[in-house]
Amino acid sequence: MHMEIWPFLALSLGVTALVRVLPWGTERQRIVVALLVLLAFMCWAPFVLDNFRLFQMTRIAVLGLALLGLNLLTGYNGQVSLGHGAFVLIGAYTVAVLLDRREQLNLVDANPWPFWATIFVAGFLAAAAGLVIGVPSLRLSGPYVAITTLAVMISFPIIVRKYGAFTGGAQGLGFSRPPPPPFLEDLLRREQWLYFLCLLTLVVMTLLAWNLLRGQYGRALQAVRDSEVAAAVMGIHVARVKVLAFVISAFYGGVAGALLALISGIVNPETVDILQSINYLAGIVIGGLASILGSIIGAGALVFIPSDAARIVAKLPFLSSEMVTRAPGAIQGAVVVLVMLAMPYGVAGALHRLAGLRPEQLLARWQEAPALLGRALGRTSWPWDIRPWARQGPQAGQNSAERTEL
Amino acid sequence: MEALLSGLLAAPLFLAPKPWEDWSLFGEQIVLGLATGAVYALVALAIVLIYRSTDIINFAQSEMAMFGTFAMWSIWLSGVAFFSQPWVLLVLAGLFGLGMGAVVERVVIRPVEGKPILTIIVVTLGLFLLLNSLATWIWAQGELPKSFPSPLSVLRAVDIGFAHIPQHHLLIFGVGVATTVLLGVLFNYTKLGLAMRATAQNPLAARLMGINVGNMLTLGWALSGALGGIAGALIAPVLTLHPGFMLAVLLYAFAAAVLGGLNSVPGAVVGGFIIGVAENLLGTYTPHAILGPEMKLPLALMLLVAVLLVRPTGLLGERALRRA
Repeated sequence: MHMEIWPFLALSLGVTALVRVLPWGTERQRIVVALLVLLAFMCWAPFVLDNFRLFQMTRIAVLGLALLGLNLLTGYNGQVSLGHGAFVLIGAYTVAVLLDRREQLNLVDANPWPFWATIFVAGFLAAAAGLVIGVPSLRLSGPYVAITTLAVMISFPIIVRKYGAFTGGAQGLGFSRPPPPPFLEDLLRREQWLYFLCLLTLVVMTLLAWNLLRGQYGRALQAVRDSEVAAAVMGIHVARVKVLAFVISAFYGGVAGALLALISGIVNPETVDILQSINYLAGIVIGGLASILGSIIGAGALVFIPSDAARIVAKLPFLSSEMVTRAPGAIQGAVVVLVMLAMPYGVAGALHRLAGLRPEQLLARWQEAPALLGRALGRTSWPWDIRPWARQGPQAGQNSAERTEL
Repeated sequence: MEALLSGLLAAPLFLAPKPWEDWSLFGEQIVLGLATGAVYALVALAIVLIYRSTDIINFAQSEMAMFGTFAMWSIWLSGVAFFSQPWVLLVLAGLFGLGMGAVVERVVIRPVEGKPILTIIVVTLGLFLLLNSLATWIWAQGELPKSFPSPLSVLRAVDIGFAHIPQHHLLIFGVGVATTVLLGVLFNYTKLGLAMRATAQNPLAARLMGINVGNMLTLGWALSGALGGIAGALIAPVLTLHPGFMLAVLLYAFAAAVLGGLNSVPGAVVGGFIIGVAENLLGTYTPHAILGPEMKLPLALMLLVAVLLVRPTGLLGERALRRA
C-alpha cells in the first residue's frame, strides 16, 4: 500500500488532533494518547511512503533534533546563535572520521567502531566545543553572541578545507551507511531502518529535553532569559546556566550531525553551510520559539517548503522553467519574514492558543473572526504605508530611550 | 596518528616570507590592505550608523549591498549608453542603496521596532535569506561568478614609489576615504546631521525638540544602504559577482565595527583600516602550511573574538549602561 505524503500527513495529524480536542478523559490523558497515536502513525510511515518522502521524513527527524537543541539555547535561554550548524558539522565529521579515517587514527587493527558508539562520541565532542564557545560568550550579550557564533560558523568549513589531510578537504569523506542489525534484516530495508533509528533518537532526546525543561534547570534557563539580574537574585548561578545551555544545545546539534552523516553516508563542508545555519534559526522561529513541538514543526517547514514550493510555483504561467527551479529559496525567505511579522510565536504558539480554547469558545471565535480581523487590520500599521508623513510610531526608538546615561 | 604527525612535521611548518626579505611586498600588502580596509570601513560605518540610532545590528547589510550590485550589473548589461559607464554605475549604486535602505526601514524594520532583540535579529536574518534567494532567483542563470566593470583597470598596476598597486585599488581607497569624509561633514557641519545625532543619542528629547524622529531613522537606514551599495560596487570588480560575495566583507566589517566599538563612528573607520591591513599581513606572513592566505578570514575572526573578550566596548567605543 502506497500513500502520497500529503494525504498521509493529513490523516495522521487529523486523527491526532481529533484525539486531542474531542471531550474525553482528562487533559493529561488526551495529550499522552494523542502523542502515542502520532508516534504510531510515524512508525507506520516507512511502510507507506516512497523512498524520496521517507528520506524527507528521516531528515525531518534529524533536523528536528538539531532545531530542538537550538531552541534550548535561543528559545529557552535567549542566546541567539547563528553557529548551530558548526556543532552539527562537528557531529557529522566525528562520525565520518571515525568510520572512514581509521588508518590515520591507527585503528586498523582494532575492531571497527560500531556506528551507534560514534553517535555518542559525536555528541560529547560537540558538547565540548559548545563549552569552548559558551564560556567566552558569557562576556557578551545579544547581538555580539550572534556575531561571534556567525564567525565560528563561517570559519569552520574553511578550517576543514585547510586541514584536508584529515577531513578530506572540499571533497569530504564517504562511508557506507549502517545496515539494519541482523535480527531486523528480513523486516526492514536500510532506509526504513535508518528512519527508525532517527525517530527513536528524536523521541528519546525529546523526552530528555522535556524532562529537563520542566525541572529546576529548565526553569533556571528561562529565568535567565527573562532577566539575568532577577535570576541572580533568586540564587541562580547565571554564568553556569548560560554555559550549560550552550553545552546541551551543542550536544543535541552533535547528535543530529552524527545522524545526518549516517543517513547520507557522505560528509563535506557543504553538508551544513552558513545559509543552512541561518535557516535553523528561521526554522525555530517559524515553528515557535521556546517550544519542543515548534522545533519539530520548524523542521518540517525547512524540509517541505523547498521541495514542494517549486511545484506550486510551477503552476504560475509567467515564469520560465529555469526560474521555477530556483524559486524555493525565495519563497522560504519570504515565509520567514512574513511569519516573523504576523505570527511572532510561530505555528506552535498559534496551535497552543487554539488548544487552550474549549470547543464552544472555538466556535465563538470562528463566528467573530471577521470582526476580529477587521479590528486587527485597523490597529496594525500597514507595513507598506511608506508615506513619510504617516504616523510617528509611538514605539519608535523606544529601545534607545530606555538606555540611560548614569 | 603517527603518520599524520610525521606528515605535519615534514611539511614546511614555519616557512613563511619575512617582511624584511622583501620590503616592496610588505608595502604592497599594506597599501592593498588599506584599499580593502576602506571597503570594510564603509560597511562597518553602515552597521554602526544603524546600531547607534536603533540598537539593531543589520545582518542583511551584506545582502542589500549584493542585491544593489547585481542590479547595477543588470544596468551595465542593458547597454544604455550613459548609464553603463562604470563611473555612473558607482553613483547609481549609492542612489539605489539609498532607496533600498529607506524602503527596508519603512517596510520591514518599522513594524518590529521596539520588539525584543531576538525578533529584530531574526527579521534582519529573514531579510538576508530573502534577498539572497531573490538574487539567486533573478540573476543566477548562466555562469557564476559574473564580472563587474571598474572605472579603472583591475589588472593594470600603478607604481607608487615603493610598490605596484592595481589602479582599481587606488580608486577603492580614494572613493572610500572621500565618502567617509563627506559623511563626516554631513554629521558634524549640517543641521540635518545634528538632528540625526540627536535622534541617535536620545530619541525622546529629540522628538521634544521638534525633530521628526521617524524620518531621521529612515534617513539613517537610507544612508547606510548607500554606503553598502557603494562598497559593493567598489569591491565587486575584485571579488567578482555571485550571490554570496558580500558575506565575507560583512564579517570583516563586523570585525572592524566591533574592534572600533559598535557605537563609535570614527572607531568603525579606524577598525576597517586595521582589519584590512591585518588581514593581508596575517595572510602573507603566517606559515602557509598551517595558516596562510586561505585562513585569512578565520584569523580575522579570531582577532574579533579576542578583542571582544579583552575589551568588549572596542577601541573607541563607549560603555553603554542599562537599567536592568
